[in-house]
Order: sequence, then structure tokens, then C-alpha cells
Amino acid sequence: MKELLFETKGIGKTYGTNTVLHDIDMKVYSGEVIGLIGENGAGKSTLMKLICGAEKPSMGSMYLRGEEYHSNSILESNHQGIGMVFQEQSLVGALTIAQNIFLGREKKYSKAGFVNWAAMNQDAKKTLGQVGLNFDPNKKVRDLDFAARQMVEIAKVLNVVTESAEGHAVILLDEPTTVLSNEEIENLFKQIERMKKEGNAVIFISHRLDEVLKVTDRIYVFKDGACTADMNTKDADESVLYEKMVGRSTTGEFYHEDRQTAPSDDVVLEVNDLSLFGIFNHVGFKLKKGEVLGLCGVEGSGKEALCSVLMGDEGQTSGTMSMDGREVTFKNPCKARRSGIICVPKERRDEGIIGILSISDNIVISHMEQISSRGYVSGKKMKKISSDWVQKLKIKCVSINDRINQLSGGNAQKVIFARALESGCHILILNHPTRGVDVGSKEEIYSLIRDITEKGNSVILLGDTLDECIGMSSRIIVLKDGVISGEFDFPAGEKPSQFDIVKMMM
Amino acid sequence: MTKKLNLSDISYSFSKYMYIVSIVLVFLVFTIMSPQFLSLYSLQNLALETAPMLLMSCGISFVIFTGGIDLGTGSIASCTCVITGLYVSQVGNSIILLMLVVGCVMGVINGILVSKLKLPSFIVTLCTTNFWNFVALRLSPSGSQIIPLNKRSMVNWATKDVIGFPVIFWIALAITALLYFIQQYTVFGKTILSVGANTRATRMAGVDTDKAQIAAFVICDACCALAGAFYAYKLKSAVPTVGLDLNLLSIAAVALGGASMVGGRGSVLHTLVGVITITAVTSGLEIIGCNALWKDIIIGMILILAVCLNSDSKGRDLIIK
Repeated sequence: MKELLFETKGIGKTYGTNTVLHDIDMKVYSGEVIGLIGENGAGKSTLMKLICGAEKPSMGSMYLRGEEYHSNSILESNHQGIGMVFQEQSLVGALTIAQNIFLGREKKYSKAGFVNWAAMNQDAKKTLGQVGLNFDPNKKVRDLDFAARQMVEIAKVLNVVTESAEGHAVILLDEPTTVLSNEEIENLFKQIERMKKEGNAVIFISHRLDEVLKVTDRIYVFKDGACTADMNTKDADESVLYEKMVGRSTTGEFYHEDRQTAPSDDVVLEVNDLSLFGIFNHVGFKLKKGEVLGLCGVEGSGKEALCSVLMGDEGQTSGTMSMDGREVTFKNPCKARRSGIICVPKERRDEGIIGILSISDNIVISHMEQISSRGYVSGKKMKKISSDWVQKLKIKCVSINDRINQLSGGNAQKVIFARALESGCHILILNHPTRGVDVGSKEEIYSLIRDITEKGNSVILLGDTLDECIGMSSRIIVLKDGVISGEFDFPAGEKPSQFDIVKMMM
Repeated sequence: MTKKLNLSDISYSFSKYMYIVSIVLVFLVFTIMSPQFLSLYSLQNLALETAPMLLMSCGISFVIFTGGIDLGTGSIASCTCVITGLYVSQVGNSIILLMLVVGCVMGVINGILVSKLKLPSFIVTLCTTNFWNFVALRLSPSGSQIIPLNKRSMVNWATKDVIGFPVIFWIALAITALLYFIQQYTVFGKTILSVGANTRATRMAGVDTDKAQIAAFVICDACCALAGAFYAYKLKSAVPTVGLDLNLLSIAAVALGGASMVGGRGSVLHTLVGVITITAVTSGLEIIGCNALWKDIIIGMILILAVCLNSDSKGRDLIIK
């Protein structure tokens, strides 16, 4: 019979008076893959943090292999056999892969303070091999792409946990697939399968329900800090899970296609012959009032660079942009904002949120110049503006004076949207607006984009998935190797298949 | 709902009010050791000592809020102290305004080098410091020069007591209040803090981060220039070495006030408390007759203790740049 590996009893967490998680009873058996699903802010990540030792529970107790389990740090948990792969990575860019894998454990390879790098590299290679990777362990982590780093991180945690603990280990994966390609996801699933066979338990968080259904044995569903369902995967399907998570049943109208606006003939932004040396060439298009223009292309097609030129973060080498018939040049994003273009950036944590400032400051920052009189910003006005947005976008927070880095991904993204909308700009560049956002917030964001275009503003969308891009856009421009390789017009109800577009991308 | 307090929460909230705790402790200790410490004369003296330091520290607070540093505060003060001391008898009191302009120019130079050329502020100010020092020493090569006795009447107003305290103290306090207002209630002040908290995100939000950085240096260096002029008024001479210790002391006061050294968090009011604490320690040690050699060591130890209490050992305020 299966051994009970890990158990929580009535565990919970409060921050001040804010209870983010209460009364969670969870059982994890060895050789089992557990799925945790729920909207952002539902408490999944908090539970993970409690289990892996990053935070201490405010109530309840945990048991590992039948004994009560306490941990003060992630390191301590690792030694006891619980390891976590973080959504936001914890590798050190300037070090090599091998150094990262054995970070803090160099002792094993050192003599009198000198490290035997060759031995370390050899072991690193073995470790990487175990998860099906064939990297040179001497390579610097910063030279790897995001997906590769994620795999290295998984290899590292696996190694740490299996090496230091006796008996079976518990591995936590927090949205490991967000940035992986299909092939890499396959590989990851193979690794999960392998860990499972060895008798370890895996806890897997993902926003992609199909993955959860595919890879897990049992699913816990979270909503508002409580566990609303615990079911065997074979009894579940997407619509059941969705209903449990959101509390309402799913409809096919995910992208609100019925609300897609027909673009008017007014051109708000005209781009002519725009080039950035070595990245993209002779790009030209017209953005019309009230439309969603999708930009598609594979990584390296130049769409990201085009986006940063449009928002003023980078200067073009040649070509012109004109807004409402007047030619514009943007020296910096500030100039672009003043002309009416603002961007919701892709890397929310690095480029979006200003972490230690309040939600209110984060919302108002792009519009401060306009709401001030002679440089003076009224606190009352700021408060009113931000509480309005918090209400309108249903941002879940205790107070608008809370730091934004206390919010979950979806809620933080809504704050960034509030900032862009508050700025008064009529062209919004949305760079992966739903990256790392849960299903419920995703739908809210889609509906928000429809609101934006209904008001006559225009959107340039770089979608997180092709499906999203097709679903939302009324026109799509496909970039390939820095040039426009195709353009699709699609009114609502006549969407082309992904296949047609992928053909142009490759 | 009852909230269970645990030790880390207590130490966290303690560290938040550390700057208050330290000033109370310092005053308490010195008053016990010598009741003289709280006498009017001693307090007046304290206020006089505080005034120029206060200006410098409040100024540099702004640069520190943006995540930068200015190592040239003391040298700028030396420079303007010399110019003021040498020429106040000819130019008159309007030299103070002139020094403000000089400070602004210095700030623009520093700010442009830092923001437009993307050089680290540590290096930029380390280099420009030498230049200000050169000017100070070049103008007054033979060391300190006193303001001629027959012109003293012109500068005496600055150290006269009004409502119990010297004029320059009131001026410095007024400027601190103004700077606090700027920091708390203006677009510029809010921009400064957000640049310090996350420069990249602030730029992406469509805010002119370069302008904010330049303005921070302008405020800082103008304040330092004014502080230098005040030193000349206070010491009634041109002293080319007056700023030597002040470079680091002014930064120390900001640190004591609990500002984050990587930017994004802090307040001019806290800096005010920090400055008073540091000058109280210096003059307190003099009052109790402590050997001057011990002074630096004691200040150093207090600082380390204070910054220890204030440090964010849990990584709670981790800033991603």
C-alpha cells in the first residue's frame, strides 16, 4: 500500500488581519502527483511557501513521513526532503550551471578552500543527464534562455533534495510550464513520471488545466484561501474544475468575440518603412481607431523589438511613425506616453510593478503630471482615482496603501492595466498581458480589452498564445525574420485557423 | 480577531521606529551623564552645529532615494565655504544666492553624467569631488582665512538667536520642511522614490527618469552649496577643509534615519532625526569631556548598531532592479 509521505492538518496563514489561507488538510502519498489549481490569489502559492519553508504557518501543523515537520528556511526543508522549483527563478546569472546546481554545497568538492571544478562539472553533467538535458555545465546561466534555466532549476532542486534526504522526497513545482515550449513540457512530464516511479511525490501548480488533467493523479482546488474540492483526476474534466475554481460555469465566449469592434477608417498610428538595424526591416502598417491589432511571430522574429520602438524604449534606425497625421519621434517612453502611446510590459516583475511602492502610487504614476497642479499632487485625488480603479477592475487587496508586491500575479497585472488606462493614452501596446495570470483574471482582462476598444481606443496586442491573439484581434500582422510575412483581416465569427498563421510564422 | 505577535514581527516594527528609539536613547544617556546637555546654551550650540549638516543630509537624501549616491557633498561645501568666506566682504549677503546657483550647476553636471551617460553615480561623484576640492584648495592655498574683522557685522546675523535659536538653524529647518513637502506631495518627489524603487518599470510607465535623476542631484548639490556658505557664516572664515568629514557623515545621517541605501524608501523627516542624533552624539561627547580620539569610534559604533537594527534581514523589502 502507498505510504503517507506528507500531510498538513488545519494549516493556515495570516498577514496582520488578512487571512490568505485557512484550514488546509492535505495528504500526499508517495508516488503520487498532486495538482493544485485555483485563481491567482486563491492561496496556492502561499501553501507552497509554507510547505517549502519560505514562510511559517500561522496555524496548524505539518507532518513529513509521520513525524511533525518544522522548517525555518528553504534550505532546511531541502535537507528534510522537500524542494521547490520557483515560478520566478532563483538561479544566479553570473555563475555557471554547475556552480548553480551546487551553490552552497561546494564543500563536497573543495579541499583547503580550493574547489575541484572538474569533479563538480562532471557531477553536474550527470545531474543534468538525469532530467534529459545535455548542456555544457560550464556555461554561464545568463547565456541560457528562460526555458533552459527552468530545466536547470528543476535539475538543481531534484539533486538537492534527493541527495540530502533519506527516503522519498516531495518536489513542488510552481507553474513550471508557463515559459516552456511544447517539447520541453513533454520532457518535464517525463521527468515528473520518473520521479513518481521512484516513489517521490510531486506537487504541481499550473494554470493550464489540460496539463493538470494530463499529468496528475489527484487534484486540490483552491478558492479564496480555502480548499473547495479534492478529487481524483480520472473523475475530473475541465469544466468541472473550472466551475469549482471560479464558482461559475465556463462558457465558450472566452474572448468575448461578440464584442469585437469593427475598426473605423480613422488611422491613429501610421508606421512607414520602420527599421531597427539587424532586427527588423521595412515594417509598415496602419493602426485604426478602435481595433485590436495582433502582432504574431516566433521568438526572434522582431516583434518584441518592434514593440519597444513603438513605445519609445528604443530608437529606430530608419523609417517614420505618424500619429493622427503628424510625424512623431520618441526619445524615451515618456515622450511616447505624452503623445498617447503606453505599454503594458511583458516582464511584470522587472518592468511593470514598482514593488515597494503602494498600489495607489503604482496606478497613478503614469498620470501624475496631468492630475497635479503646478507639481502638487493631491493625496485625496490619488486615493479617489486608485480606489475607483480597484473597484472597477475588482483588484483584490486589503488597502490601496499596501505594497504592490504583496499582490498575486493576476491582481498585480490588473494594477498595471489600471495604470495604462489611467494614463489617458489612446493607443495601448499590450505585451503578453495575460502572462502568468489565472483563468478568471484572464477573462476579466479580455473583457477589459473589449471595453478599451469600445471606447474608441486602439490596442496592439502581442499575445501570450496564438489562440489568444486570434481570439482577440480584428487584424493580425505576422512577422518573420524581421519582415512582415502576412496580414490577416478577421471580422468576428470568421477567425482563421491557427494553422494558417503558423504557416506564415515559420 | 486576536493577532498573535511573534518575535520577528516585533523586531520588524521595532526597526521601523529605530530612528526615534536611537535619538531618545542618545539624549537620555547624555542627560544622565551630564544634565548640562539639556541646558539652553548647549541646545543652541547643538542647533548651530546641526544647521549646515541638516541641509547636506536632506539634500543627499534625494539622491539616495533615487538609488544613487553623492560622495561630493562635503567637497561642495568646502568649495562654497571658501568662495563665500573670501568674497562675502566684497559681494555682500547676496553671495548666498550665488552659491545656490553654483550648487545647481554642480548638480546638473553630476546629474547629466549619471543619467545621460549612464555612469554609476558612485564613480561620477568620486571623480567630480576631486574637482571641487581642487577649487577649494586653489582659492585658499594657505589654509583657512578669516573674514576681516571690520566686515564681521555683515555676517553676524546668521548666528544671532531668534526665538532662542540661531537664524541659520531656522533657515535650515524651513528648507527641510520645504523638501519634505516636495518629497511627499509633488510629482517630482513621488517620481524620485519610484525611480529608486524600480528604475526600469518607472521608465516603462512613461516617466522621464533622467530628468528625475538630474533634479535629485541639483537639489542635493544646491543644498550642499548652501551648507558650505553657512559654514563660512558660522566659522566666520574660509575653510577649504571644512567638508572633509562631512562627505560620509551626511550619508551616515541618512542611513541612521532609516532610508534604504538602494533607493525607493526613506523620508526627509527621518533624515532630520538622523542628523540631530549624530550632532547630539558629537556635541554630547564634548560636553562630557570625552577624548576627541574616541569620538569617531563611538559614532561608528552607534551607526553600525543603528543600521543593524534597521537592516532588512528577512529580505522583506528586496528591490529588484
